[in-house]
Amino acid sequence: MAQIEIRDLGIDYRKPKSNEVFSAVDSVDLSVEKGEFVTIVGSSGCGKSTLLMAVAGLVDLTRGSIEIDGKRVDGPGPDRAVVFQEASLLPWRSVRGNVKFGLEMQRWSGGDLNERAMQMIRLVGLGRFSDYHPHQLSGGMRQRVNIARALAVDPEVLLMDEPFGALDAQTREIMGTELLRIWERSKKTALFVTHDIDEAIFLADKIVVMGRNPGHIKEVITVDLPRPRNEAILDSDAFHELRKRLRAHLAEDMSSMQLVQEVA
Amino acid sequence: MRSAEMTAEPAETRQLSLSFLRPSRSAVIGTLAVLAFLVLWQIAPGIGWVNGRFTSRPTEVFLAAIDIFGNDNFLYHARISLTEFVAGFALAIVVSIPLGVLLGTSKIARYLIDPPLMALYIAPTLVLLPIMVIWLGIDMAPKIAVVFLGAVFPIVLNTMAGMSEADPKFLRMARSFGATRFDIFTRVLVPGSLPALLTGLRLAVGRAVLGVIVGELFVSQAGIGYQLNLYGSAMRIDRLLVYALIVSAFGYTLTVIVRSVENKIRDWRSK
Ligand SMILES: Nc1ncnc2c1ncn2[C@@H]1O[C@H](COP(=O)(O)OP(=O)(O)OP(=O)(O)O)[C@@H](O)[C@H]1O
Ligand SMILES: [Mg+2]
Repeated sequence: MAQIEIRDLGIDYRKPKSNEVFSAVDSVDLSVEKGEFVTIVGSSGCGKSTLLMAVAGLVDLTRGSIEIDGKRVDGPGPDRAVVFQEASLLPWRSVRGNVKFGLEMQRWSGGDLNERAMQMIRLVGLGRFSDYHPHQLSGGMRQRVNIARALAVDPEVLLMDEPFGALDAQTREIMGTELLRIWERSKKTALFVTHDIDEAIFLADKIVVMGRNPGHIKEVITVDLPRPRNEAILDSDAFHELRKRLRAHLAEDMSSMQLVQEVA
Repeated sequence: MRSAEMTAEPAETRQLSLSFLRPSRSAVIGTLAVLAFLVLWQIAPGIGWVNGRFTSRPTEVFLAAIDIFGNDNFLYHARISLTEFVAGFALAIVVSIPLGVLLGTSKIARYLIDPPLMALYIAPTLVLLPIMVIWLGIDMAPKIAVVFLGAVFPIVLNTMAGMSEADPKFLRMARSFGATRFDIFTRVLVPGSLPALLTGLRLAVGRAVLGVIVGELFVSQAGIGYQLNLYGSAMRIDRLLVYALIVSAFGYTLTVIVRSVENKIRDWRSK
């Protein structure tokens, strides 16, 4: 059985100041194997974050179910860790303090907290910056800390919501390669939300393409590019082929979005 | 995932700032202006520009200061005023921080108490002084009460704001790691609201100092305000100025200390 089993998932949000409900995600079925790297793409507002937060146990499910290793998700758990879309580092804690945060919350018992945190900080290449505070770091460095904090608790599943969304294209590429290097060593199951097509292909074993109104899965594309991967792969024919396919999907979505706006 | 790989990193750069040893231009200009003012003040009564009875002179003020610190029972009066200040302020802290925390974390409590609290914060609490005197007499008690009333509201309101305006991103992040409500309170809400709490303390200092002095000016048998009254009736400008300086210096010093802690903490926040 797959590690993550999402069955007929639906999530409604209540509209503020009314009883109307808005369906953000509907009829989503997805299974993810252990150690698989799955990217989720789709236009803005199609429910990518909602889907990820549901797996994290941070939003209530309206319909359907999510199981991880056969256990039903009904809240956050130590088997999952999230890297958020925005920087969510506590400004009053140093890099090390931030990486220790998750360990403290989970009452980590696997040895010295400081040592564990330092190990993770070095893993993401920030060894010299462990005493810095977040405002002294660049955006890319902050996201490395976010990743280190999530990896520190040694989760089975790593959930990442556009962790590189706020970075420039160049830094983004470097971070992507770094992430693969780290992931290839740990072989954790990863769900990675992005709306960057190249990033989605570059990282993935499997790409989940989402559509909107309500958020649903349009297609799941398997990526057979060899690993380990580096930037050279961006120019391969197979990559171009996948890029073309994804572009078509997203363009379709954009035009349906315009249609909705015109009707409204 | 155990092995650690070091990527190339820029060397840590931490410069030691020595700029405070070199007087800045503004410091030089400021000092010169003060000196010029003192000289003018000293010679103005002599050449008939102002009446020295009303303006005193820097030398007289200096001599009055020596006299006050030497044999004006200064320490006795200062101790009375300081006691009133510390007692009122401590009481205010003990009451306001828990109250601010409660109001900041409970919406219902906030809806209930917020409007009257806001009204009391805006109204000058000194209007209650005569009532305090009727209730509590003319000793230290009414002054302590006025200090308390002056200090308590800014601390409550700022603590409350700091708690209730906690960044929801941080709360969600903490929950994702399985934080309990208690964890969130101690590790996110409390440190997050510390700068706001300090802002409240800083605002409270000014109001508390005002409370002591006005309270003693109104009616008292001892204290700095009592001395101000005494020398006011005697038209001793020199001594009044010395006391004015002492009170300002006290309030200023406390404010600067709180602000420096505040700034240190704010430094950690992203800009
Ligand atoms: N807490 C909430 N309450 C009500 N509606 C919400 C809430 N969070 C999200 N939504 C709505 O649900 C839809 C999906 O939002 P979601 O954040 O999952 O999209 P997304 O695909 O992650 O978008 P983006 O790429 O911009 O991050 C949006 O229309 C959004 O307005
Ligand atoms: Mg999102």
